[in-house]
Amino acid sequence: MRKLFVASMKMLYRDRQSLFWALAFPVIFVVVFGLFDFNQAPNVRIDVVGADRAPIGPALVQGLDRVDSFDVHRTASEGIARKDLAEGDVDVVLAVPAQTPAAGPAGIEVLYNRSNFTSNQFALTTIRQVVDGMNLRAAGVSRPALVVEAKAVQAKTVDYYDFILPGLVAMGVMNISIVGMGVAVARYREQRILKRILATPLRPIRFLAAQVLARLVLSVVQSALILGVGVFAFGGHVYGNVLWLFVLVVLGNLVFLNLGFAVAGRASTPDAAQGLGQAVALPMMFFSGVFFPVETLPKVVETLVRYLPLTPLLDAMRTVAVDGKSITATGAQLLQVGIWVLVSFWLATRLFRFSETR
Amino acid sequence: MIGSDEVTVEVSGLVKEFPAPGGGTLRAVDGVSFEVHRGEVFGFLGPNGAGKTTTLEIIEGLQEPTSGTASVLGLDSVHDRERMKARIGVQLQAGAYFRYLTLEEILDLFGSFYPKALPPAELLEKVGLLDKRRALVGELSGGQAQRFSIVAAMVNDPEVVFLDEPTTGLDPQARRNLWDLVEFINRQEGKTVVMTTHYMEEAQVLCDRVAIIDHGRIQALDTPLGLVRRLPSAYRIVFQASGGVDEAALARLPGVRRVTPVQLNGFNWELAVRRAAETLPAFVEWSESNGVKVEDVQVIPATLEDVFLTLTGHTLRE
Ligand SMILES: Nc1ncnc2c1ncn2[C@@H]1O[C@H](COP(=O)(O)OP(=O)(O)O)[C@@H](O)[C@H]1O
Ligand SMILES: [Mg+2]
Repeated sequence: MRKLFVASMKMLYRDRQSLFWALAFPVIFVVVFGLFDFNQAPNVRIDVVGADRAPIGPALVQGLDRVDSFDVHRTASEGIARKDLAEGDVDVVLAVPAQTPAAGPAGIEVLYNRSNFTSNQFALTTIRQVVDGMNLRAAGVSRPALVVEAKAVQAKTVDYYDFILPGLVAMGVMNISIVGMGVAVARYREQRILKRILATPLRPIRFLAAQVLARLVLSVVQSALILGVGVFAFGGHVYGNVLWLFVLVVLGNLVFLNLGFAVAGRASTPDAAQGLGQAVALPMMFFSGVFFPVETLPKVVETLVRYLPLTPLLDAMRTVAVDGKSITATGAQLLQVGIWVLVSFWLATRLFRFSETR
Repeated sequence: MIGSDEVTVEVSGLVKEFPAPGGGTLRAVDGVSFEVHRGEVFGFLGPNGAGKTTTLEIIEGLQEPTSGTASVLGLDSVHDRERMKARIGVQLQAGAYFRYLTLEEILDLFGSFYPKALPPAELLEKVGLLDKRRALVGELSGGQAQRFSIVAAMVNDPEVVFLDEPTTGLDPQARRNLWDLVEFINRQEGKTVVMTTHYMEEAQVLCDRVAIIDHGRIQALDTPLGLVRRLPSAYRIVFQASGGVDEAALARLPGVRRVTPVQLNGFNWELAVRRAAETLPAFVEWSESNGVKVEDVQVIPATLEDVFLTLTGHTLRE
């Protein structure tokens, strides 16, 4: 059994082409996502009309200027400003009223381009904060405790890179197992290697177990590589215990390997296994929340994808990696993945076969 | 080596049915019975689809028969198959090996599946592949790969070796090398060999006994010579004669079945005869007494191809 395991590892290691894709493919994603700076707020160009209208104008411009990503210009007339906005030269126009009303708050007119969805959200919130700050100061409050706390919360939830890292780990593992294992086993069958093994006294389950073991080792190596590049080269974060993450990877991989065997059983050739494997893996990759939270899906779709194995696995991985919790906080997801281990094992034993025909 | 009386493989009333593509059932093996004796080279000769592989795989315990029994070394191919597997060697038709392991590693790995195994170097030495020990299977020529797959079937030093079409797809030189190897395994190592082929020459050269199989049935089983002798005409006498020849007189010679004028490599007459020895003296006397000048004579023994044609009405290649 030791020999068989060593041989299986050698085979994985020497199949350079498959190995390269197993390791490089997810790492390419890690690098590409790492090149985008998701934390950087979008640069917003602002025209201020009536910037010198006391008392609000100068204070407002000063406040806006302090925001790094605001690019503030003073504009003489609202007409020019509107034209700039219409032509897309600026994102937001602020108009300071000519007169401050004797009673009640003064209204600052904010015009913005409706199509810049993300920058609007950010710009409007920040402008509101600046104005709130001015109001507080006007009311004599100099130390707004609320702002500091709000920033602390944001630092963690907004970081898309930290969100996507566990997703890429799961995606990589899913691919080498469903597609990689499926193709490898289909090839062993086509070349009659499985049958040749059946002709020896070796219990065939041992051969399959050695293959599974080798792939589990590969998946841990792959995950470590993805996380290593993500964290050390691109400043990603894993807030929880990395070991729990590996435990989840191995557990989830059991499901994917079973599905790989099922794919190999169903497909008649290695090429067919490649196609079928992709057909199983790709929908999960897009719908189970590798790139986007499943909550952003339409309600019906979300309910459906929650039954896929990758969804609870990713949930659990993010509970550990992003929320920094222990694996004990993922009981419900572990149960779902556990059920999938059993279901996929049943499927694999139903569909898998050693020779071309049953 | 000529087989002893000891029965090594015993097959009785073997039937294997598959679901036919268009519905119904296909009888791939249709009531096959035979025995192989210890030390024999036993061959199945038949065209593609005759049922050779299916028969072999049932004996090897890789498929279960629909009915009938098979046993090797007294061990039943279904019930005692695990014990049996340790004592047989199997080469599958067009079977490959792991492409990312070296020859040595493959033999070492397969050896670990058995209670006892021969050292890889010793095995490779036997088939002249020792210098390729660190090569991958993909780096071997067709003939080398086939030799390797035979030696891989011998890691456990088996008593019986099953070879399924070991020379199909090889060039004539590589085929002859492989024949030498099979003879070596049989004569020097004393192993019983059960093999299949669709080359009649191979069966004729290698096999002590041949079972001719077609449509899942054994049509005839005997030594190659015995099979040929069963033919109404086991030999052809061809000759070149100048001048007129009395066909009727020729037909009356002892053992002559048929007289045909031909155009064949410079010969213009052919006699199909039962035994060459029976006809030749009378033929010589006929030519002398009739003053027929016979330029050249050749005696051509019938082949298994002729046997096959006579038995089945079609050739091996169809
Ligand atoms: N697993 C199978 N399912 C269906 N038909 C099969 C199967 N294996 C063999 N056959 C059919 O059985 C017949 C005999 O096949 P086989 O034993 O491979 O012949 P041979 O080895 O003499 O070429 C063929 O018609 C083949 O198509
Ligand atoms: Mg065959």
